[in-house]
Amino acid sequence: MNNEELTNYFDEQLFLPDLMATSKDELFVELVDQFVKVKYLKNRDIVLEMLRQRENLGSTGIGKNVAIPHGRTTSAQDIMIAFGKSRQGIEYDAIDNKPVHLIFMIIAPPQDQSNMYLPILGKMVEILNKAKNRNKLLEAETYSEFIEIISRG
Amino acid sequence: MEKKQINLLVALQDLDMMIEEISEMKRLGFNTEREDELLKARHDLSAKIKKPLLFSYEKLKKRYKRAIVPVKEDNTCLGCFIKLPTSLSSIGRTDSEVIYCEGCGRILYWLT
Ligand SMILES: [Zn+2]
Repeated sequence: MNNEELTNYFDEQLFLPDLMATSKDELFVELVDQFVKVKYLKNRDIVLEMLRQRENLGSTGIGKNVAIPHGRTTSAQDIMIAFGKSRQGIEYDAIDNKPVHLIFMIIAPPQDQSNMYLPILGKMVEILNKAKNRNKLLEAETYSEFIEIISRG
Repeated sequence: MEKKQINLLVALQDLDMMIEEISEMKRLGFNTEREDELLKARHDLSAKIKKPLLFSYEKLKKRYKRAIVPVKEDNTCLGCFIKLPTSLSSIGRTDSEVIYCEGCGRILYWLT
């Protein structure tokens, strides 16, 4: 998985640079509703349930103001990633207890032919571990700026 | 009625996929310390599913990695890629009964 390949899994319609949500639950609803609105997902409640169960396993707030909620669901047909940014920050129960500002929600189908789910997750973690990338993402206002950061990672 | 059962089964498979991938998630650096919570949730959820349906799910899981698969817009089963009859799809979309693939026997789930 290289950075160029990773950009294929984003969509301008799933780019939310100014989230309204103030809690983890509101955040999940806001992002999942967007997936449903742009017709990537059908069954909103099942996907929300899956994401909440995932959080029960351990927070996907990986620290440094970043969260990567993720999971496979039978309700999805393709892997897609939504990006959301919160100016005020969201209480997320992250490992470092800091509020979350950058959110990447990764939704994958039960089977993907090329088995891209885990490589995508790994690549996202790698990109977000770099302070330089996090700072740029916090400043990105447009989708093209955003994709530029991801592709250079 | 069946719609609710199918949705519970989808939720169960989603949980099972999560449980299968715990070690990978840990390797990627995610916190997975509350594994027990997930196993408990699986136990509680499977208790809500009717025995015959749960039994056929468990049986299919032994044969296939995924027991319940989505049906693509062009009416193909995402498990075996057989083209399904249109009549089956119209019943399937209403979620009024549990439908099995004629090709591979997996439980089918309509996305649209
Ligand atoms: Zn089939």
